[in-house]
Amino acid sequence: MPATPLQKVFYAEDDEDIQRIVRVSLERIGKMTVKIESDPLKAIDGIKAFQPDLVMLDWMMPGMDGPTLLKTMRELPETADYPVVFITAKATQKDHAELLSLGAAGIVSKPFSPKDLPDQLRAIWAGLP
Amino acid sequence: MRASMAAHPITTTAPDQTRDRADRSRVLADQVELLYRQAPLGIAVTLVIGTILAFELYSSAKIGELVIFWTILMVVVCVAWTLLVVGYRYARNRDTNPESWLRRFAIGALAAGVTWGFAGAVFFPGHTDEQQVFLAFVLAGMAAGGLPLFSAVWWVYALYAIGVMLPFEVVLLTFGSRLFTELSFMIPIFFAINVSVAYRLNQVFVSGYRLRVSYGRLTEDYTELNQRLERQLIELEEVRRQVEASGRKLALFAERAPIAVLELDREGRIQEVNREAENLFGYPAGELVEKGASIKILVRPSYHAEFEEKWQGLLKTRESMAGLKIANPRRDGIEVVCEWTVTPLVNSDGSIISIIAQGRDITQQLEADRLKQEFTSTLSHELRTPLTSIIGSLQLVNSGVLGDLNTDQAELTEVAERNGQRLLDLINDILDIEKIESGKLTLFPEPMPMDELVGESVKLNQGFADRYEVKLATHGVRDIVVHADRKRLLQVMTNLISNAAKFSPSGGNVEIGMTEKDGRVKVSVADRGAGIPENFRNRIFGRFAQADSADTRAKGGTGLGLAICKRLIEMMDGSIGFDSRDGGGTVFWFELPVYKSHA
Repeated sequence: MPATPLQKVFYAEDDEDIQRIVRVSLERIGKMTVKIESDPLKAIDGIKAFQPDLVMLDWMMPGMDGPTLLKTMRELPETADYPVVFITAKATQKDHAELLSLGAAGIVSKPFSPKDLPDQLRAIWAGLP
Repeated sequence: MRASMAAHPITTTAPDQTRDRADRSRVLADQVELLYRQAPLGIAVTLVIGTILAFELYSSAKIGELVIFWTILMVVVCVAWTLLVVGYRYARNRDTNPESWLRRFAIGALAAGVTWGFAGAVFFPGHTDEQQVFLAFVLAGMAAGGLPLFSAVWWVYALYAIGVMLPFEVVLLTFGSRLFTELSFMIPIFFAINVSVAYRLNQVFVSGYRLRVSYGRLTEDYTELNQRLERQLIELEEVRRQVEASGRKLALFAERAPIAVLELDREGRIQEVNREAENLFGYPAGELVEKGASIKILVRPSYHAEFEEKWQGLLKTRESMAGLKIANPRRDGIEVVCEWTVTPLVNSDGSIISIIAQGRDITQQLEADRLKQEFTSTLSHELRTPLTSIIGSLQLVNSGVLGDLNTDQAELTEVAERNGQRLLDLINDILDIEKIESGKLTLFPEPMPMDELVGESVKLNQGFADRYEVKLATHGVRDIVVHADRKRLLQVMTNLISNAAKFSPSGGNVEIGMTEKDGRVKVSVADRGAGIPENFRNRIFGRFAQADSADTRAKGGTGLGLAICKRLIEMMDGSIGFDSRDGGGTVFWFELPVYKSHA
C-alpha cells in the first residue's frame, strides 16, 4: 500500500460526457485532482507533464486504443512505472484477463457508478505494493 | 413387390405321397364305375339266357320244382344286383369310398357266378346228352362272357368264374365217365386262361385310367399355373404403375422444391438438375448437363483441393454428408453460400449409381445472423455508452455533491435515474439471454467456497434490501466448494435475493439457507411474500415472465431475470426451482454439484 493517499489521477478518454462525469465524481466526491486528455496520442506527454499518482485509460479510443497506449507507456522509462486502471465496457473475463496480463492494476466496468468510482479507485490504490 | 410374388410360387410343393394316394383312389373309382356301368348288360344277358335255360330244362325235368327254385334264385340275384346298381348310381360317396362299392359288387358277382355254377351242378347229371352239351355250352359262354363285364377288376372276375366253374368241376370229377373226367381237367386250364386274360385287361384298364388321371392332373396344374401367371402379371402391372407414380411424385418434389437438387456421376459430372438449381446458380440446365460440366464449376477454385478430398471420402465411405457450408460462385460470378447434403445412391451390390447433391441457399440467413450479431454488439456499446452518461449524471445530481435540489426537482431526477437504471438492466438482460441462446456465453468456472459467495451476495444486495426495509438472514452456511462461474453465480444470487426482497412485506426477513445432500449443495432464498399465483407457476422461468404486468411498474424488473438464472444454473450442471412455503411465501432454490466438501 502506497504511503500517500491517492490524489492525482490522469484520465485518457475521448467521450466528453464521460470525461465530465468522471471529473465531477473524482473532484467533488473523491476530492482528487484530475487531468483529462481526449487525444490518446497526446497522453504520454500529458502524463509526463502532470506526474499523476494513477493513470486511468479507456479501452476504445480513436487513434490509439488503451492497451496499445499502456504498452507504449511501459516501453518509456518515464511512464513505465505508473499504475494503470482501465475503465471499459468490455465485460468478459477474457478481456479482463488480457488487460491484467498487460500489467493493468485494475479494471472498472462501464457503466460505472460515479458515486462509487472514487472508492473503487482507492480500493485499487490500496492494493498496490 | 417381392413379398407378393413369393406368396404365389410357381412350383408347388404339395407332398407327392398324398397326391399318389389320391390318384390311386381316383383310378379305383374309375374301375368301379366301369364295373357298375356294364352291370345292366350282364343282368340282361343273365335274365335272357337264364330264362331260355330254365324253359329248356323244365320241359324235360324230372324235378320241375328244382328248376322253378333255380329260376326264382336267378331272378332274385338279378333284382338284388339291379338294386345295387341303382344304389350306386345315386350314391354320393362312390368317388370317395370306391372300396366299399367294389366289395358289394364283388359279392354280387360271386352270387351270379354261384347261381350259374348251381345250375351246372344240379341239372347236369340228370339230363340227356344233348341237354348236357347245351348246359356246358351255356356255362362256358357265361364264364367267357363275364370277361368283358368284370375284368376291370381282375379278382372280381376270378370270384365270378370260381362261382360258375367250381360246382361244375366237382360234379364232372365225381360223375365217373371218362369224357367228363377229361373235361374236368380242361376246366381249370380254361379258368386260368380266363383269369390271366382278365388280369391283363385289368392292367390295361388301370394304366389307361392312370393316364387319364395324370392328364387331368396336368391340365389342372397347367390351368393353375396360368392363373398364377395371370395374377402375377396383374400384380407386376400394379407395381409398375406404383413405381411410375412414385417416380413422378419424386420428380415433382425435386422439380418444384425450393432447394437446388443435382444428380452427379462418380466423377462429379452433372447428370440432371432441377429448376431451383438453374435459378440459384444462373446456369441453364442444358449448359450444365449436356456439356457434362463438373460440379466443380459451382465451387470456388481455392476450395477445389479440399472439395476433391471430401469427394473421394464420399466415394469411399458411401455415406451421406450433411451440413456442408460451401461458397458457390454463380454464372455471373457472384457467390452464394449453400448448405449441402450429399447422398450417394448405392445399389444392392454396393456400387454407386449416382450422387444426389441438395443445396439450400443460406446466404440470406448468414447475412441475417451477421446483422443480428452486429445489432447485438451495437446494442451493447452504442446504447450502453449514452446510458452510462445519463445514469452517471443523474447519480451525481442526486448525490447532492452539486448542491441541494428542491423537492420536485429531486423527485423527478430520482425518477429519471431509476428508469435509466431499469433500461440498462433490460439491455443487459437481453444481451445475456441472446448470448446464452446463441451459445456465445462462455462460463469461467473456478473452485468457489459457497460461504464466501453467499456473504458477498448479501453484501451486494444489502442496499437493495434496505430500500424495501427487509432484513437478509443466513443460516446453515458452510464452506462447501462448487466449481462455478463466480460472476454468473453472483448474478443468480442477486436475482433471487432482490426478487425475494421486492416481494417481501416491509419489516420481513429474507432467509438464505444452505444444505448438502447426495453430493449436491442446495442454496435456498425464502420470502414471506404473497406466493406465486397458480396460473403463473409453469411459466415463471420463461422469458418476459411476470405474474402481473402491473408488477413491472410497481416492482421494476425486466421479467428476464429468472429465465437467465435457469439457463445459467443449467449451464453449470445444476437445477433450479421453487416451492411454496408453509405459512405463506415462496422458497426459490438452486442445486449445484459439490466440487469439494470440508464438512
